[in-house]
Amino acid sequence: MATSLEIRNLHVRTEEREILRGVDLVVRKGELHALMGPNGSGKSTLANTIMGHPGYEVTDGEILVDGENITELPPHERAKLGLFLAFQYPVAIPGVSVANFLRLAINAQREEPIKVKEFGQQLRHAVELLDVDEGFTSRHLNDGFSGGEKKRAEVLQMAMLRPQIAVLDETDSGLDIDALRTVAEGVKKLHGEQGLGALIITHYQRILEYVRPEFVHIMMDGRIVMNGGNELVERLEKEGYDRIREEVAASA
Amino acid sequence: MPDATGAPGSAPDAASRPAATRKPGSPPEATLNAALAGRGAGGAPLAVLRERARAAYDALELPRWRRSGFWQTSFQELDLDALAPIAHAPDPRLPEILAGARSAGVLVQRDACVVHVELDDELAQRGVILCSLEQAAAQHTELFERYYLRRLPLDRHKLEAASAAFWSGGAFLYVPPGLHIEHPFQIVYEISDGGSAQYAHTLAIGDRGSELRLREYDVATGEVAADALHAGQFELYLEDGARCRLAQLTDWGEGAVSDCSTSVVEVGRDAYCHWLPALLGGHLIRHHYELVVAGQGGDMAFRGVLFSQAHEHLDVFAVDLHETGPSGGDVHWRGAATGSSRASFEGLIQINPGAQRTHTYLQFHSMMLSDAAKLDAIPSVLVSADDVSASHGGTVGELDEMLIFYMQTRGLTRPQAVKVIVEGFFEPLIVQLDDPPLEQQIRDRIGVKLAAASDDIERYALAR
Repeated sequence: MATSLEIRNLHVRTEEREILRGVDLVVRKGELHALMGPNGSGKSTLANTIMGHPGYEVTDGEILVDGENITELPPHERAKLGLFLAFQYPVAIPGVSVANFLRLAINAQREEPIKVKEFGQQLRHAVELLDVDEGFTSRHLNDGFSGGEKKRAEVLQMAMLRPQIAVLDETDSGLDIDALRTVAEGVKKLHGEQGLGALIITHYQRILEYVRPEFVHIMMDGRIVMNGGNELVERLEKEGYDRIREEVAASA
Repeated sequence: MPDATGAPGSAPDAASRPAATRKPGSPPEATLNAALAGRGAGGAPLAVLRERARAAYDALELPRWRRSGFWQTSFQELDLDALAPIAHAPDPRLPEILAGARSAGVLVQRDACVVHVELDDELAQRGVILCSLEQAAAQHTELFERYYLRRLPLDRHKLEAASAAFWSGGAFLYVPPGLHIEHPFQIVYEISDGGSAQYAHTLAIGDRGSELRLREYDVATGEVAADALHAGQFELYLEDGARCRLAQLTDWGEGAVSDCSTSVVEVGRDAYCHWLPALLGGHLIRHHYELVVAGQGGDMAFRGVLFSQAHEHLDVFAVDLHETGPSGGDVHWRGAATGSSRASFEGLIQINPGAQRTHTYLQFHSMMLSDAAKLDAIPSVLVSADDVSASHGGTVGELDEMLIFYMQTRGLTRPQAVKVIVEGFFEPLIVQLDDPPLEQQIRDRIGVKLAAASDDIERYALAR
């Protein structure tokens, strides 16, 4: 299982254009990282490429899990290594309930199917953690869910699948303050209980006030241009991206 | 062919009305209008009806239906001389497909013979009849003649005529007024071998205020390597206030079974039917369904599942006919196609003059799983009343790559993700069966078909 995710000199393009232009980043199990950056800087591309989205082509560089190159692995193999992606725009699966999908996903990652009782216990625990009502897990996954419900469902899946390292792609966007707090508390608990390592992609400072990541990275134009601690978040809040852009340009 | 009961040509009105109006020189072809008889051929003794059917059989050619686009459904390649009824001795062993199921009654027809009938004793004492149709014609003649072919014609095409002329065995079910029966009646038609000609006929009646569940299974029990034929007629009459949940599961497997059948359900005053045919396998299938709401306050939900694979050919014509109003209808079918299969769903809403305050809706949703497959939906609406709502809709879907990727990131392999999507596609209909063992049977069968087609589905996805 993954104890470290290392990204080395990653270049990624879509059919139209090059998006990532040499990304370097290391996330270890148990560490909380934030990845910030303006729209279009490549954050979601990085998230999707880490999980092996077929629409993104890696033209150079590597993604390593515990030193093994996974760049060619299909997405489900990456999931089995303990990686997880909470989607920015989760898709609906009509006709499949949250609970049934979770059972399928859990069983896909283990030899023996999970026992009904064990599954029930885990599900109850996760439902409490995410503060959703009981009927939630019998609804069809993301089908007709509000924005907040979709994001909670993402974190609920994360709690059930127990990844080692998760990428949360703007899980905070579109949430009201209560939902944001619930989701943030959920991530913190999984960090505390399961030693989850996370790369939290966000536009906003607010989720970071709850989660308090130890490492903060700023991405611009397909590269990580600045690394630091929580003080970077405060600086961004005061100065905005333009100052950082100028500073990076000056030092280049 | 079995012996005919009458001389050819003895029924001029049948013989002079071929399957369709045709241009000189063109082969006979059933049309929409010829398909919509609305009234049956019944009301006469069986021997007379068999005679008429035999005459029509002699006069008609094997049917062909031109489908949309550039393909057709044709039974003209079928060599009827190579087929014959196969006889069997009684056999009390229950078919595998009924294993573990609780039933109110069971009737099994293997090829040309009814080999087993069982009926709950208490139900028999309360007036329920379950027996072969042959026996019903002889012992319950009055009931039989009142209902037999009340809504079904016998001369629209040669195979319909063959079924009416030559049927043997058959199933008869009568549920008396007011009786509510929890467990399902199960009727099984089996084809055991190539060369089998199975002319099947089911006649079922839910009398006033009764409530029942009925399942029909059409299945092959072995590898049917050589051609075989199932030409069936199915009739269900629901008298005033009766309610029925009807499911028909057709799965002839991968063998060479051709199936040309007609089913009709008549819903009386304030009666209700939930009807779900599941067409899950067969070399060549043409099935004509007619749901007739004949009494005020009659209502129905007509659901259907079809899934074609490999070289299968599946052709459905479904009619939602309202003769009076107010009445309700809700037709919702879903189909998926893989391999180089052909499938077509033609749906018609017909509202007759005087059927005011009828509300009905017809929808067909399809999912393409191969670029070599064809799956057509042809909805139409014929309305002859002015205070009604009748409309149709549908969607054409393909596998959503984003959805597949989403599930892969949760650890599902690509084929597992495809299976979830296709099962989810059918699930809204399957879950309405309200019958967990039957639901599971259909889900399992869809799973088997998907597994068989997984390489093909993968190629399709990669090619796009």
